[in-house]
Amino acid sequence: MLIQVLVSGSVLGCVYGLIALGYSLIYKASGMMNFAQGDVLTLGAFLGYTFFSMLGFPFFLAFILTLIIAFAFGLGIERAVFRQLKAKNVLPIYIVLATIAVSYILQNACQAIWTTKMLSFPRIFPIDSLKVFGVAIQTESIFCVAVSILCMAGLHFFMKHSRFGTAMRASAMDSKAAQACGINTSLATGVTWAIAAGLAAMAGMLLGPIYGVFITLGSTIGRKGFAGAVMGGYGNMYGAMVGGVLLGLIETLTSSYLSSTYKDLIAYGMLLLFLFVRPTGIFNEKAITE
Amino acid sequence: MLLNVDNISLSFGSLKAVNEVSMTVESGKITGLIGPNGAGKTTFFNIISGVYKPDTGTITFDGKRIDGKKPFQINEAGIARTYQVINLFKKMTVLENVMVGMHSRLNSGFFRSVLRMPDQRKEEEEVRRRAYEWLGFVNLEDRAHEQAGSLSYGEQRLLEIVRGLASGPKLILLDEPAAGMNSREKRDLDELLQRILQKGVSILLIEHDMKLVMGVTDHIYVLNYGKKLADGSPAQIQKNTDVITAYLGGE
Amino acid sequence: MKKVMKKDSVKNLVLLLASVLLPVIFNAAGQSYPILIMCFAFLYMIATSGLDVVFGYCGQISMGHAAFFAIGAYGSAMLNRYCGIPVFFTMIIASLLATLVGAVIAYPASKLVFHFLSLSTIAFAEIVRTLLLQSPGGITGNAVGMFPKSISLFGFQLNTYTRFYYFGLLFLVLFLLFKYRMVNSRVGRAFIAIRENTHAAGGMGINVTQYKVMAFAVSAFYTGFAGAMYAHLVRYIGPDTFTMKQSVMFVTMMLFGGTGSIAGPLAGAFVVLVFNEGLRAFEQYQMLLYGILLLVVIVVLPGGIYGTVRSFIKKRLAEKKGGQVDAA
Repeated sequence: MLIQVLVSGSVLGCVYGLIALGYSLIYKASGMMNFAQGDVLTLGAFLGYTFFSMLGFPFFLAFILTLIIAFAFGLGIERAVFRQLKAKNVLPIYIVLATIAVSYILQNACQAIWTTKMLSFPRIFPIDSLKVFGVAIQTESIFCVAVSILCMAGLHFFMKHSRFGTAMRASAMDSKAAQACGINTSLATGVTWAIAAGLAAMAGMLLGPIYGVFITLGSTIGRKGFAGAVMGGYGNMYGAMVGGVLLGLIETLTSSYLSSTYKDLIAYGMLLLFLFVRPTGIFNEKAITE
Repeated sequence: MLLNVDNISLSFGSLKAVNEVSMTVESGKITGLIGPNGAGKTTFFNIISGVYKPDTGTITFDGKRIDGKKPFQINEAGIARTYQVINLFKKMTVLENVMVGMHSRLNSGFFRSVLRMPDQRKEEEEVRRRAYEWLGFVNLEDRAHEQAGSLSYGEQRLLEIVRGLASGPKLILLDEPAAGMNSREKRDLDELLQRILQKGVSILLIEHDMKLVMGVTDHIYVLNYGKKLADGSPAQIQKNTDVITAYLGGE
Repeated sequence: MKKVMKKDSVKNLVLLLASVLLPVIFNAAGQSYPILIMCFAFLYMIATSGLDVVFGYCGQISMGHAAFFAIGAYGSAMLNRYCGIPVFFTMIIASLLATLVGAVIAYPASKLVFHFLSLSTIAFAEIVRTLLLQSPGGITGNAVGMFPKSISLFGFQLNTYTRFYYFGLLFLVLFLLFKYRMVNSRVGRAFIAIRENTHAAGGMGINVTQYKVMAFAVSAFYTGFAGAMYAHLVRYIGPDTFTMKQSVMFVTMMLFGGTGSIAGPLAGAFVVLVFNEGLRAFEQYQMLLYGILLLVVIVVLPGGIYGTVRSFIKKRLAEKKGGQVDAA
């Protein structure tokens, strides 16, 4: 029983981690909070379903195609919308509203294009479940955790050791100084948003086979994902991963062993707790001052 | 001795911004605080006015301990201040800025205001009248109903000063009041400082304009890299070789 | 000064007179739907005015005001159903309860800056909604919701749109009067100072924490009362009414009408309400169109509709006088 709980907790935690990663990356790069991440997750799930189930592509291809579309979306929305808003120096409240508007559009576009019903994502693997420590675990769950870990590791190496990744970190830290070094900061920011969207879409494709695909799949997870980002230290990439996994584990453990009616309260409660007591999070990330 | 700062230190992480600084400010005098850029002068002001809590040391004002108190409590105790970067309430009118300055001396709370009790109405009239008087102190009465943000830079500095004076302090901290002023405005400022003293308000002044500082202050403290480098009369400071070296030739 | 005030008073009196006569005209024409719309308009105007106090005047963002709306609505309904208190008094008590909750949450939240403050209000509102959906003992009716009665003022039942209209108009005027007095006093100046420059406000002797809490508390009372009005007008409340979408709608109403003014939230509430009613015709595309239009307006019009309309009017007036166009 404990193993099952830990597995579900890890799956959820990885998803929270991917969402939280997106939040922290965007905050570091553009100084904004993006309320549309959850709905990009939903979009990713629907796209994955379309390619894999409706069009019958091999899963790997469906995965790549969805990521490409998500990257394009992230890049496009940054260029078309948020860059303009930042340039016009609008009040932060309008930027928040704009991300919320994007989330409404995404959610309802999914509804209009696909359906309001729950779609069932077919199994990806021929084997139903694997035995780990003597307990049968759904293959998709293992896949989810494995891909998330690979992704987080890949992102770490990309950011720390590749030229472009370092350029992205420099742009986020100090845009003017980065430009002075010849870094194309506008491209770096666009790519950051693209990666964030890709992470959310990926989370959707990992979650879809386990939870099913429906239009509100991402919205609650997206909101609760903020807790993961704050817990780790908002803006800190590693904090987002750690905070997300921690949140997923705590939420699943508490709801399994204590009470499941108030499951949602745990995430929001932890969010408030950290905001009030330790807003800089586990990794003590200083917030960007206005 | 109006203000006694005893061995104050403050670190930001590993950087010691203020390092065991002691200072006394006498009543009825103008005390100057000078030092090269980054010496910790504004941080020092921030400690006195309650924005930062010092790691060590004590601050006593008018006989009472004020270190560690919140900014509004320090204002209530009788210390006002202006800021290096102009911190006016830009979207409020000139008059309203001064009216806010009087906040801690007034009494009307939420219910008295919403119910428009007679003593609240009387207090509001008083506030307006006295705010006009303060504007008169710096010749800004005819700008009373303009937005504070529309004033010239020099006028904004003057407004910040009377906004601070409006709370009836015993000591006012002025952070580079002459910055961006031309020589005529600086002469007016010199005269304004004397008028402030006449009103019974003592002054602690951060300034870079050496001519102004040497001419107007009674006593000077010099900070460098967060430490007190020297203190003495203007004449003594001008001859102090450490001070001259710190300024690399000075002004 | 006095001349300007007199012109304003005449304008307000005319508006008031027109508002009083409106239902008479509509009833004569046999149209009750516009009266219902105005009933909603009044309660949203009150709710938005409340949000304006805490954001427009005091500069504190709240993306969770639906929580206060809910506490007012459910509080009033539950007090009536389980304690037998007559409906009007339940509204007052429920609003006071919302005020208390607002003050309690505002205290730790006062230390947070913009983005984190907005997150904390969202989390708070979601917690309230979860508790409504899964209440201990099912007292809120959980997913089914509750069916509150109509307002009874000393035995007189406000069970027609017209009767509710006059109730709503009366309380709107009262709430606006209190808001006007509050913002033009020492308290209002403190709020604005905190919004303009929190640092300097503290230096002026303003106890920033105390005033932030006060702004939140007042704001919660307004929105709570509006929530109670909603409950006894629609006579059905469920957890789906009090989602983040509702909080976002309040923010939208406030921004579109213009923050930091008495009339702004009124205009914004009315326009957005009518707009949403119009979108209802598009059924399942309603939210999509709402999102698209919202985004387009934000991107294309700097500072939202209000800012643009205002500077447009300013430009026209300046051109008429033949003078220079001053910066908006």
